[in-house]
Amino acid sequence: MKRIGVFICHCGVNISNTVDVKKVVEEISKIPSVVACADYQYMCSDPGQDMIKKAIKENQLDSVVVAACSPRMHEPTFRATVSDAGMNPYCFEMSNIREQCSWVHLDGEKATKKAIDLVKSSVARASLLEPLVSQGVPVVPKALVIGGGIAGIQTSLDIANSGYKVYLVEKEPSIGGHMARFDKTFPTLDCAACILTPKMVDVARHPNIELLTYSEVESIDGSVGNFHVRVKKNPRYVDMEKCTGCGSCAEACRLAGRIASEFDMGLGKRGAIYVPFPQAVPLRYTIDPEKCLFLKHGKCGTSPKCADVCTTDAIKFDDKPEFVEFDVGAIVVATGFKEFSAELKPEYCYDKYPNVMTGLELERIFAPSGPTGGKPKINGKEPKRIVFISCVGSRDKKVGNAYCSRVCCMYIAKQAHLLKEKIPDADITVMYTDMRAFGKGYEEFYERVQKEGIKYRRGNAAEVYGQDGKLFVRAEDTLLGEPYELEADLVVLGTGLTPNPLAEGIGKLLHLSLSSDGFFLEAHPKLRPVDTVIDGVFLAGVAQGPKDIPDTVAQASGAASHVVNLLSKDEIFAEPTIAVVDEDACVGCKTCMLLCPFEAHEFDEEKGVMKVNAALCKGCGSCAAACPSGSIRMNHFTNDQIIAQLLEVL
Amino acid sequence: MNKDVRSCMKCGSCTASCPSGRVVAFRTRKLVEDRAIGEIDYDDLSLWYCTTCFNCMERCPRGIDITDEILKIREEAYRKGKVLEPHRAVLRYIYRSGHAVPINPEVREKRMALGLSELPPTTHTFEEALLEVRRIMEDEGIEYKE
Repeated sequence: MKRIGVFICHCGVNISNTVDVKKVVEEISKIPSVVACADYQYMCSDPGQDMIKKAIKENQLDSVVVAACSPRMHEPTFRATVSDAGMNPYCFEMSNIREQCSWVHLDGEKATKKAIDLVKSSVARASLLEPLVSQGVPVVPKALVIGGGIAGIQTSLDIANSGYKVYLVEKEPSIGGHMARFDKTFPTLDCAACILTPKMVDVARHPNIELLTYSEVESIDGSVGNFHVRVKKNPRYVDMEKCTGCGSCAEACRLAGRIASEFDMGLGKRGAIYVPFPQAVPLRYTIDPEKCLFLKHGKCGTSPKCADVCTTDAIKFDDKPEFVEFDVGAIVVATGFKEFSAELKPEYCYDKYPNVMTGLELERIFAPSGPTGGKPKINGKEPKRIVFISCVGSRDKKVGNAYCSRVCCMYIAKQAHLLKEKIPDADITVMYTDMRAFGKGYEEFYERVQKEGIKYRRGNAAEVYGQDGKLFVRAEDTLLGEPYELEADLVVLGTGLTPNPLAEGIGKLLHLSLSSDGFFLEAHPKLRPVDTVIDGVFLAGVAQGPKDIPDTVAQASGAASHVVNLLSKDEIFAEPTIAVVDEDACVGCKTCMLLCPFEAHEFDEEKGVMKVNAALCKGCGSCAAACPSGSIRMNHFTNDQIIAQLLEVL
Repeated sequence: MNKDVRSCMKCGSCTASCPSGRVVAFRTRKLVEDRAIGEIDYDDLSLWYCTTCFNCMERCPRGIDITDEILKIREEAYRKGKVLEPHRAVLRYIYRSGHAVPINPEVREKRMALGLSELPPTTHTFEEALLEVRRIMEDEGIEYKE
């Protein structure tokens, strides 16, 4: 018979207020296999743990049961405790008499009886537990960062500065992301480019960073410590080695100034050969294959002008996609966001009037390198009456976005300030629903903007409409309780942040889950905000949920530290609580392979049976439950162990 | 009460969207708020100025079924005997013809031009059905005045 020790926790009064702990000890002590049984105020404290360690040695225990809180809280603690005393950590069993008993029952007598049953069932299971050993897997000391916005840039730099190699993949021709589009940043009014471009240059120059721009991740296989990645480098039709970034090609292009620039939100123009913005990294030109006359029609006047003027012979019309493959130990997803599509709120007439624009469009109007050279001109005129509308596409169930985008209140305040600075006699009104100025220095900035004469009126704008060539915004001033209307030369929609639709494919490649808001789901909302449920895959920036630049940078550094933590290990140990196939019984029907959410099952052609990749299996048990021949065994959750546990409570 | 009413964030989209509120003293958000705190003033007849255009309900960012709630409040008001005279007149039409908007010569002509029967297959055609409508009204205790 196995020798079992049982330790029952009071959890202060969390358990003992409802459950009669002494009575539980008394009943459990009667079980013949229980050779040691005790209770303590706080089992997780040092004296509590010492008590367990001492009992293991004194009584030569084979297994230990702790009856306390949820194993999600302290199972790792007690596994380490028994391990310290020389016991295999998988011979430890936890009985949850807090969340599943004392916290949810009022009747002390019945709760005590239930606690006894729960502990008895744990003892039954503990007597069948077997020692398990984790298998070590070597770690590839390199990382992949997907997305080259400020989140991906910061993550890459932090990892690279710790001495590890980073592959940074960005789908656009340049890194920089949305931040590169901004003029100033709230609340300090730092020029966005002045603080971002040095970091972009650092990325380009860093010996540990391999930058893959205009590229997409095609496939990712493997698991934590050993991912195999395949990246497609889209053809730029310009030789990256030869191009010097001089720009004569862009000037010469027959379509120069005739194609709407994506970087300028369609407000500015570019040619078919272009760089998105002057400080682009890498400063190499790209030909847009959808627009280039030569690539589309095989003909560009008598000869393509870009090639004519290029002094380094860098134009490469026969460029083909290239594929690069490499291994990494960890991955960071920093895929950012997409601005809310304002046309989804038809009452604001964004489609109809050019002087109704989004926040991101106004950023480009402010930018010195933008379509108006930084002058706030709309249709060639300075707007005098300006209305900002907040919460466009945020806190709005009608468009499926119940969440707050967390940046709009402040970017509106910043933009209102910048407009007032450039047009001192402008009459600026902000129609807001609730002001959320929660960050460091934000409330102070809000107050400063109010003092500058920006009018804040509470109440969401209901509609924008045009009449006799004039534009009107209608809202209720909810503090006065009266509807009102304002005439406006410019209406700015405080558009929110939505999940990047291109991130969906990345999520599928990595088997990541999404939260109800559509952003990537973190492993724990408070305590593991940069981890995902997939080991070795981390999140940074808005990919995980709307956040401003300070929070994005903080999270990016957090993700980087987790990556470095992982890469600094020679080996990592996967949980041994996984599925194991009995090769003698398996008929190779592949039912398990179709069900497995982690693609951990492979078919062994030679033997005609299934095998489980220990590094990918998460021990969810779907396969074992479905296997028609019952030939899959779940380590640590065997049928015998579970049935013994059930029989005690039935 | 529809519990969503409590989720109102007082943004005022409803009030500012209300075409009726442009000309009369009807304030949609006030009604929603009164409802959420359980203090409806049934004597305030502005309740009856809602044209049930559904603009507020269409735009409410919290997805509150505002117009549906207004109709419920009106039903309660009616049961307390508080209703605007023109609305009460509708009952008279229903009692007389089975229709809130009875057929008129113009509609008769249009129906015939479209190749339909002169009268629709409702109480206008089946007089016995009109008696059933009246019975329903009587059973429900709905008052009307001739």
